Amino acid sequence: MAVGTQEISLQQREPTARESLLRPLVLFFRALRRTPIGFIGFIGVVFYALLISVGPLIVPFDSEVRLDQIAAPPGSRVQLLTRAADVDRYRTLDDLAGQTVGVVRETAGPDLVAPYEAAGTFAVDETRWRSGRGVPQAMEDLVDGEIDALIVFSESVRRYITENRDAAQAAQFSGLAVSNEALGPPYIFGTDTQGRDIFSHIVNGGTILIVTAVLAGFLSTLIAVGLGALAALTGGFIDRGLTAIANFVLTIPQFPLLVVLAALVQLNNFMLLALLIALLSWPVLMRAIRAQVLSLRERDYVEAAIALNLGRPHIILREILPNMMSFVVINFIFAVTSAMYQQVGLVFLGMAPINDYTWGVMLYFGRTRGTLFSADSAMMVLAPVVAIALFQVSMVLFARAVEEMFDPRLRTVS
Amino acid sequence: MAVRDLNAGAVQPAEPTRSAPSFLDGVRRVARSYTARTLVQAVITIWAVITFTFFLIRLMPGNPVDVYIDFLMNQQNISFEEARQMAASQFRFDPDANVFSQYFDYMGRLVQGDLGESITSTGTRVVDQIIRFLPWTVFSVGLGLLISFVLGVLLGTVMAYNRNSVLDNALSLFSSILSAVPNYIWGLLILIVFGVQLQWFSVGALRGTYDPTLDPGFNLPFILSVLEHAFLPVLVYVVGTLGTWMLNMRNSTISTLGEDYVNVARARGLTSSRILVAYVGRNAALPMFTLLAIHIGFILGGSVIIEELFVYKGIGSFLFWSISQRDYTSMQGVFLVITIAVVVSNVLADLLYSRLDPRVRVTGDK
Repeated sequence: MAVGTQEISLQQREPTARESLLRPLVLFFRALRRTPIGFIGFIGVVFYALLISVGPLIVPFDSEVRLDQIAAPPGSRVQLLTRAADVDRYRTLDDLAGQTVGVVRETAGPDLVAPYEAAGTFAVDETRWRSGRGVPQAMEDLVDGEIDALIVFSESVRRYITENRDAAQAAQFSGLAVSNEALGPPYIFGTDTQGRDIFSHIVNGGTILIVTAVLAGFLSTLIAVGLGALAALTGGFIDRGLTAIANFVLTIPQFPLLVVLAALVQLNNFMLLALLIALLSWPVLMRAIRAQVLSLRERDYVEAAIALNLGRPHIILREILPNMMSFVVINFIFAVTSAMYQQVGLVFLGMAPINDYTWGVMLYFGRTRGTLFSADSAMMVLAPVVAIALFQVSMVLFARAVEEMFDPRLRTVS
Repeated sequence: MAVRDLNAGAVQPAEPTRSAPSFLDGVRRVARSYTARTLVQAVITIWAVITFTFFLIRLMPGNPVDVYIDFLMNQQNISFEEARQMAASQFRFDPDANVFSQYFDYMGRLVQGDLGESITSTGTRVVDQIIRFLPWTVFSVGLGLLISFVLGVLLGTVMAYNRNSVLDNALSLFSSILSAVPNYIWGLLILIVFGVQLQWFSVGALRGTYDPTLDPGFNLPFILSVLEHAFLPVLVYVVGTLGTWMLNMRNSTISTLGEDYVNVARARGLTSSRILVAYVGRNAALPMFTLLAIHIGFILGGSVIIEELFVYKGIGSFLFWSISQRDYTSMQGVFLVITIAVVVSNVLADLLYSRLDPRVRVTGDK
């Protein structure tokens, strides 16, 4: 074989810097055009990336307990209640200048009126919550004229005015009407068992979960590729030892072992959890990588590279690894979904400490507080269930796009 | 779902090992036999897992006595020393005993088939607990796997025969979605949508493994009640694994369809149904058995979450209970049972594979 042939083949693989940066992107978008399913996955992955990075900046985490809006259905919101005669006069809080506005403690009211009270726009009359009797008490004040408007939650309006079962009270409140149905923004997914906004929890609850899953998937893939390649390329007792360890770890019941380890290691940060998941989940991929490397090593072009004495790093990095890239990347994506399964399962059982309010923690509280079993409050569980399910589906569909991208048929078209 | 189509690496012919130490010829022949070697390996694996988990679970913070002493001190307002003595008389367990002597004690009994007594409920043998809970899990997981395996193999074959058609694309999207979503997430969705919102069934009434007012026995109401209570867990096991079988069977069948022997069979003019069953189906289904073996351990381990979710009293919920009580012997017993199940199914898959596929039949095995 002439030396010249070798030079040509090397030159063909050495694109200019700009090409090597753009080429994967070009290939990727060409792949997306070919696979509508992969495109959906790509959109999903972009959506989740934005959700966990930008989302928390736009929608802050709602941690305020509000007793009048516990487990409210989707679309509930804070409203303005006045006497029927004043409905047209008092549309907004600004219309109430010089009047008295009622609020009930431990509800959204005090926060809404605080700036107006500080500016002296109107007087504020605060009623105590008193085991739930605060809201009807304030409504009585409104009927009596002590206050001119009252900030209430839509569920309270439903309970005391539109659907009041107590006939006497219904008659008493019949002169009241909602003057502003949309004083506050709607709670898109309703509220949880503490009256907090579930939507804000969905926006904020994915970051740590997804970061942990990606980190665990990355570590797991790294261990698998490293050990798999090492085992296949060195052979001998290292190969046998690593394969035996992989088989051993595979035999121990994975999830129960994770539960025991989670109790053993005081899991107080997500990186430790990611490491733990990675340490338990590498064997399946490692055995597959080992088999792949073993078969790639026998290919003609690898043998040619060995014959040309191109050196071990060149053979591993330039001949073997590129041919496994699609397999490795796709399995990294699957490792992420698998890590998601493990960590959410752990939190769902209450076996991981609950420092951060994630989707998994929402499921845990949904189960332990029984909101799962009531049609009105099921959103507290349904919302994170859908969030997790769509994330997993997006990842798997995205893997299709990646598979398509690595398809050699695409490269010839350029 | 965590275990995917990586069977390329999983199905590897056992590597030829160096010849066994030179004892008698007969011993050597047995040692060379694939079956014997597999069995010895299985026993060693089980021993290694028991040893590993034995020390691991004793390293967990808090032990059953501490948990009980705390309970006594809070409930009965007694001093630590009194509580400690009461706990010591209550439990056959000394937290200060040497871990290694505990280990040898445990192994000694285990060899005689004794799994010991539960630590937190004195007088209850772990074996009895396992016999009480295990059948429910074997029944629900087994039925679920059987249904999904058969369905998956059939649908996968259909997909492969119609590859790149609309049907294939739709089914493969469907199976991707099925396998992507964790099984307990499917369980929660089914509970919320069909149980709570649509009220097709009563969530509360389906707890447990059967209706406690009925006599357990071979009678119709009891059997119906068992099936009714197992319905949700079985459904979740089916939904959670079906996608994996479909995708793998599809890929396996497609690669088999390209084999020369299939072309030859076609050229010989064999009927397409005979080619499907005897040439394609048989060979394409082979790797599925290894995959099934890997999945058994995964699903048994995952049954902890599913059984907690549906309050189904099987081995998974028993394991969860024993972990939270730090009941070492019970935990150990369940780990042992699941490990044996995994090892045995792997051995069976290996042996089955070497019976069915002459290509991987190992040279030493004559």
